[in-house]
Amino acid sequence: MVDLTQTPHGSLIGAAKTDKRLRRRRAAVFRLKAYGIAAIASAGLALVALLSSVVVQTSAALTESYITLPVTLAEADVDPKGDRDPKEILRADFAGLTKQTLRETFPTVKARKAKRELYDIVSPGAAYELAAMVSADPSLVGQTIDYPFLASDITDLYLKGSYGELEAQDVTGALSVTMDGKTALLSSTSGDFAGALDQVKARLLVDAETLRRKAALQNNGAAVFAKRAQDATTEADMDKNRKLAEARAAERDKLLAEAGDLEARARGNQGAEALSRDNVSLLVRVDGGWIKLTEVDATSAKGTVITPIPETVSGASNWDFFISDLPEASRKVSDLSIVLIEDLKARGAVDSVFNWRFFSSGDSREPELAGIWGAAVGSFLTMMVTFSLAFPIGVMAAIYLEEFAPKNRFTDFVEVNINNLAAVPSIVFGLLGLSVFLGVFGVPRSSPLAGGIVLALMTLPTIIIASRAAIKAVPPSIRDAALGVGASKLQATFHHVLPLAMPGVLTGTIIGMAQALGETAPLIMIGMVAFIVETPTAITDSASVLPVQVFRWSDFPERAFQAKTGAAIAVLLFFLVAMNAIAIVLRRRFERRW
Amino acid sequence: MNDMSILERTVDSQAVKIAASNVQVFYGDTHAIKDVDVEIEDKTVTAFIGPSGCGKSTFLRCLNRMNDTIDICRVQGNILLDGEDIYDKRVDPVQLRAKVGMVFQKPNPFPKSIYDNVAYGPRIHGMAKNKAELDEIVEKALRRGAIWDEVKDRLDAPGTGLSGGQQQRLCIARAVATEPEVLLMDEPCSALDPIATAQVEELIDELRQRYSVVIVTHSMQQAARVSQKTAFFHLGNLVEFGETGQIFTNPEDPRTESYITGRIG
Repeated sequence: MVDLTQTPHGSLIGAAKTDKRLRRRRAAVFRLKAYGIAAIASAGLALVALLSSVVVQTSAALTESYITLPVTLAEADVDPKGDRDPKEILRADFAGLTKQTLRETFPTVKARKAKRELYDIVSPGAAYELAAMVSADPSLVGQTIDYPFLASDITDLYLKGSYGELEAQDVTGALSVTMDGKTALLSSTSGDFAGALDQVKARLLVDAETLRRKAALQNNGAAVFAKRAQDATTEADMDKNRKLAEARAAERDKLLAEAGDLEARARGNQGAEALSRDNVSLLVRVDGGWIKLTEVDATSAKGTVITPIPETVSGASNWDFFISDLPEASRKVSDLSIVLIEDLKARGAVDSVFNWRFFSSGDSREPELAGIWGAAVGSFLTMMVTFSLAFPIGVMAAIYLEEFAPKNRFTDFVEVNINNLAAVPSIVFGLLGLSVFLGVFGVPRSSPLAGGIVLALMTLPTIIIASRAAIKAVPPSIRDAALGVGASKLQATFHHVLPLAMPGVLTGTIIGMAQALGETAPLIMIGMVAFIVETPTAITDSASVLPVQVFRWSDFPERAFQAKTGAAIAVLLFFLVAMNAIAIVLRRRFERRW
Repeated sequence: MNDMSILERTVDSQAVKIAASNVQVFYGDTHAIKDVDVEIEDKTVTAFIGPSGCGKSTFLRCLNRMNDTIDICRVQGNILLDGEDIYDKRVDPVQLRAKVGMVFQKPNPFPKSIYDNVAYGPRIHGMAKNKAELDEIVEKALRRGAIWDEVKDRLDAPGTGLSGGQQQRLCIARAVATEPEVLLMDEPCSALDPIATAQVEELIDELRQRYSVVIVTHSMQQAARVSQKTAFFHLGNLVEFGETGQIFTNPEDPRTESYITGRIG
């Protein structure tokens, strides 16, 4: 008999402790929550990593450097005919004038190579800007003005610390310098060079370590070839492998000897240490001149004069000693350039200002001149074309399919294929655009028109699918109400259904447009990857777009383009976030509840 | 009004407004309405009663061709409005619906202002030449919908913000704004509370002065309260059609009797 007084449930309080099933169920809920939190946290981390890397990259592009120098706009140089014709002035040799100005600033720079490095301190674009300025205001001819020359990318990067810091060392002693032919002999009354000597030796140890690693690789190679020689079946094969093994062993021994030598130099205490281009740069500034050290000891050093110093210096207490920890061989800016830039900085000629140019100029091969305005306008024009094609066509298609089309095999087929279209790789649309729009209809290559058409094709399925969902979500009672008062189907659709579906339609459209804004691959196919300096003014002009600009800059070898790439990505992200924010606001604002 | 007065109610015979004969409706393969013959009189409230799924709503929607919007629905037979076949090829269903207005089960005002809800029909039919005329039409319709006094100060407020009963009266006002001749009501009170129901029922009785009203209802008491004529549907057949007093007190068909006494339904 069943005991009816016993229930299958235990006491309510403390049930979790006794009931195994209940415990498992609680554990399952806990696990699910934990997975969810972990997933969100990792997504958040990825986002933070992305944003912070973009911000870090971008920061270097936020400012640009100018070098202000007095420039004499002599009539003979800038307006030889003397009629103040702006066009004539524009044609004058401002590049030569710029070089002349630099030479006058540093009259002691004489050698050909040194002069070239001097000229490279300012951007080649600076001369054009000066020309444009004088041409716009011919009254400047004959005057001497302080003109801010745009610094070159290398100068700018050095100023931003991308090529290592020039660290000033504490000096306590008095410095004496005497000349021995071309070599300057330096001596300090206290051990001011000792710290530098330690750094130089530390660097030698690092180099020795590198050599030993290389030697180990050679050793492995030697072993492999020795083994092959052993296993060889023919005499010739054995000979060949043995020779290879010997060559590797010899190389290994050479490297080991060099490493040992470096280590002996680093550990030993045999006085002066010679400096190479692979070691740290040591620079001394005294009495307005610079000496680059070639040999250093604790209290004395030898060096070459970069910018002149007086014949002899004795017991100068006012001198500076700098270490650039990045070896000259591994940076694009030479010691001479550093010295020149530091001198300019000491004169107060160097300014750093917000980089408006980046937002107002077009593309350029020179990183310091390159901006995204051209690409932004190209993107805008392309989006205009995309929107004006994709929005009406997409919404009309959605209305037709949802409200008017009969439900039959054919409309099912169309629906399936619209969904398929949404999954087609974007580059395929690029191929279509290339062969049909460019090839058959002769749409101008690289133009926002061509890009816009291709992106419209790509965006259409997104808009149609989102619009259909939005239209379907409008309750049928609204259609009934409109039809009930004698509205036609068209009136019911356009007066009631479409306005109610609009937030959803616009959300879908904006998401589709945002997707199109970030699209690169199909645009490369239709030639929007070309190098275009001019800002486009019409949809048939050649143009670039933001994502393609990012793609191109990321490919350029100049280091300064890294920052430009980061900044362009930031601008692109800004627009995408702004568009999505608009979508959210629209949805919130116009969302209706029935 | 109460049930007891049914027998004493005077039922003047009016001109026939809608004459339906031999009406068949199919949903795909389902035969939903079978051989329905009914004559709906002018200035009379005709109630369709019957258990759920008996086809009364389907038949009602045939009267202004709302079934056209359902792809799989086919209608056969003759439905004459003032002697004209409404299923004639030359009839535009849009014009028909202006003449035969409809109120739905759930209040379904447009998510627009009260004014725009009522003005929409007159606007699309070009009934007003200017704003003043439209204002007049709207006021008249709202007065006929017995809701003018409640909303006259907030015509710009959204129609969806009204209470359920007010929304339904707004929908009735919207339906009468296009000056229809027949008003179809598909269970107009089923989503309303008893007080709102009483208000709407009172309104229906007033509307009888001008229109031919056809009302589908689940509630037999409601049919008894508001209608002069009653049609009882069962399983797609029109079982009995006659004066309300006679149907409720002395039904001819045993199925009608079973339904009104609560044995089927």
